[in-house]
Amino acid sequence: MATLPTSDDRILLVYERIDANALIDHVRTAGDGAIVTFDGCVRNQSHGRSTLYLDYEAYESMALGKMREIAAEVHTKFQIDRVAIAHRLGRLEIGETSVFIAVSAPHRAAAFEACRFAIDTLKRSVPIWKKEYFEDGAVWADGELPPVPQDTQTRKSAS
Amino acid sequence: MAPSNVKASIRVKALFFGGLKEVAGRAEETVELASGSHIEDLFAQFISRCPELARYRGSLVASRNQEFAAWNTPLDSGDEIAFLPPVSGG
Repeated sequence: MATLPTSDDRILLVYERIDANALIDHVRTAGDGAIVTFDGCVRNQSHGRSTLYLDYEAYESMALGKMREIAAEVHTKFQIDRVAIAHRLGRLEIGETSVFIAVSAPHRAAAFEACRFAIDTLKRSVPIWKKEYFEDGAVWADGELPPVPQDTQTRKSAS
Repeated sequence: MAPSNVKASIRVKALFFGGLKEVAGRAEETVELASGSHIEDLFAQFISRCPELARYRGSLVASRNQEFAAWNTPLDSGDEIAFLPPVSGG
């Protein structure tokens, strides 16, 4: 299990079952009036074909970096307290949780908006892929192309 | 001292993910390129060995050292370059 904590946030890629309650407990503090969660789970069909199971893979180091960026962005955009984002990799059966997000905030509106923003951004920009297995074969799921800077000729002067 | 007519080369690590890994037939490879090469040149080198990859050029993005990067990004020795098909996490 790889972990990259950002302040009090929790960002995880795991190969075992996601412990949703632990993530909810992690974001819960005395100053919060709301915790909103998103539980993304494996559906039993895709485009009308019965799914047997899914297999997820990630570019792990980059995926953790991008998930960490999402958490940081959520803090700048919304009045929230803590964020937890966990994505599972490997083989997942129907009904199992593939991604879980928990956001705590003093007031519910920010928590709802932040949670929605986090899952939408994750699906668009975190390098994770799923292969769908059916009775008669397997396909890599349709996905989204992440936005890329148009021109990086001018390098950042990184030390 | 190297003769001035010998062009310096750089070594980068190339990574393939998802369906692209299956097309390329490899998950990673260290590649030697002429100094001054760009991400586009690296992919072109793989296309020359695996022409099937050309079909995917328009539907993938690249990253350099874990950051999304444009095709005209210059390469440095030691870079980790990944070719990423459309992402489908969640």
